[in-house]
Amino acid sequence: MSPENLSALALSVRVAATATLLNAVLGIPLAYLLARREFRARWLVDLLVTLPLILPPTVTGYYLIVLLGRRGWLGAPLYALTGWSVTFTWQAAVIAAAVMALPLLVRTARAAIESVDRDLERAAFTLGHSEWRTAIEVTLPLARNGILAGLVLAFARALGEFGATLMLAGNIPGRTTTVPLAIYTAVQTGESSEALALVAALTTVSCVVIFVASRLGTTAK
Amino acid sequence: MSKRLDVEIRAGLRGFTLDVAWTAGDGVSVLFGPSGSGKTLTLQCLAGLVRPDAGRIVVDGRVLFDSVAGIHVPSQERRLGYVFQGYALFPHLTVRSNIAFGLRRCPAAEQARRTAAVIERLGLGGFEGRYPRELSGGQRQRIALGRALAIEPSLVLLDEPFSALDLPLRRTLRDELQAILQDWRVPAVLVTHDFSEAYQLGDSVIVYEEGRVRQSALRGDLLRRPASESVARILGFRNVLHGVLRDATAEHLRLEWRGQVLEARAPGDLFSPPSPGTSVAFFVRPEDPRLLRKDGPPPDAAHHGNILAGSVVREVDLGVTRVLMLRLDAPGPPAQGEYDLEIEVPRFVYEVLNLAHDRRWRFSIHRSSIHVLPT
Repeated sequence: MSPENLSALALSVRVAATATLLNAVLGIPLAYLLARREFRARWLVDLLVTLPLILPPTVTGYYLIVLLGRRGWLGAPLYALTGWSVTFTWQAAVIAAAVMALPLLVRTARAAIESVDRDLERAAFTLGHSEWRTAIEVTLPLARNGILAGLVLAFARALGEFGATLMLAGNIPGRTTTVPLAIYTAVQTGESSEALALVAALTTVSCVVIFVASRLGTTAK
Repeated sequence: MSKRLDVEIRAGLRGFTLDVAWTAGDGVSVLFGPSGSGKTLTLQCLAGLVRPDAGRIVVDGRVLFDSVAGIHVPSQERRLGYVFQGYALFPHLTVRSNIAFGLRRCPAAEQARRTAAVIERLGLGGFEGRYPRELSGGQRQRIALGRALAIEPSLVLLDEPFSALDLPLRRTLRDELQAILQDWRVPAVLVTHDFSEAYQLGDSVIVYEEGRVRQSALRGDLLRRPASESVARILGFRNVLHGVLRDATAEHLRLEWRGQVLEARAPGDLFSPPSPGTSVAFFVRPEDPRLLRKDGPPPDAAHHGNILAGSVVREVDLGVTRVLMLRLDAPGPPAQGEYDLEIEVPRFVYEVLNLAHDRRWRFSIHRSSIHVLPT
């Protein structure tokens, strides 16, 4: 494998791992809120989280540019303040991958949390535990396997992200070229053996992920 | 001294309205009624898991909820032990951790001592390190009780505590639960739709139907004096019938029913008879009517009370007893579909009287066996 493609592989792992971490921090509380709290904007949160699953990735990417680009709603003030823009950096690849992976985690984790018997939580309340302590000691431990399965799926999705990444982060070798982008470039420039090596690497990772996720799914019952 | 428990709840939830008020003393108070009558919702209001729209809940002089004063003590601070239907034991925790779960705020040494004491007292020694799924239904019930009792609650709430168990186990565990509650001297509110359970365990019984209290009584009074026809039906009484009052004295009533005149003893001092000509409900326990032997002396109305005649149109074999559906020799449609009266006879009586072949009988119903219900 060429040094460029090795660096693409390293970058992909770094981007996917960071995106998964971001998902865990944002997605698990979000899944809990959607599963257990009644609030007025719930349908909106649910819609926003789910949209990237339905929309073409380039459309999601476009929205991210509108939001975070140098002239975006959030990007413009940030650029004016710091002179830095997230577009065409590896962090942009992380954001694109995280947004695309979030629905997989939130939906899986939410289903797992919803399947926890509410009487267990009520029991914890009558035994003096606050909602926060109950979530930490009862709900989340019992939903653990579903949440882990969601994280595995999110990691896999982040690793394979192409469209939204291309829109927000571009395809800059050594900086934002992740494995899927490298495969595309290799095929475009006729380097079929390099493409094959990268395809094999991603396929292997995906198979492992499916295996792990299904194991977690069955032991959750 | 005021009652230990004073409850007044109004709550609307998804088209269902709960509107109840009752009080209870020490011992076990049973909320009894068909499923969907608001019993569990009442427990949840008591425990603070559901906030009523209006009302007041006082336990042992402590106001837990008062809509007028704006008081709503959160579940966490009510210190009521809740035993959930199906027990709601934490599956990921051992027996010891389950029982210690409500003692988080105690110092570690105190927590260990109290947990050990509960385990010892409930005979769960040796199972401390096991998980709930490894234990039998009866043991799980004891763990759920232990977990609730460990917090030294001022009241224990039990929601259908036997519904998760096989039938043969229920009787045994009923005795066990009764013993534990007496041993711990803790008052309890128990929800059930099984009358024999309600009767055995309840010092007083509160009859629920459609989100309302139909009657609240000491358990003996409930069987002797159900407050209305609907209570009699909820309690599962058979032969709840309607007649027309002909006349009444302080001691006796005379009713017309199916073309017969039945004499009944007046239900008691508190009963004010309705005016003649009005419809009255009454019930006859299936075990009370006596079949009159054909080879015996002729019946004496003064001794036997009301004498009727009819034939068996259907029967149900319950093993130890048989239920005979009798249709009276009287014109007009029978009172209960195809028959007028259910009579339950022991198996040996059925055999001695050759009831399998001899279907036409005269029978008597004593005055005191015709129970007139208040309207």
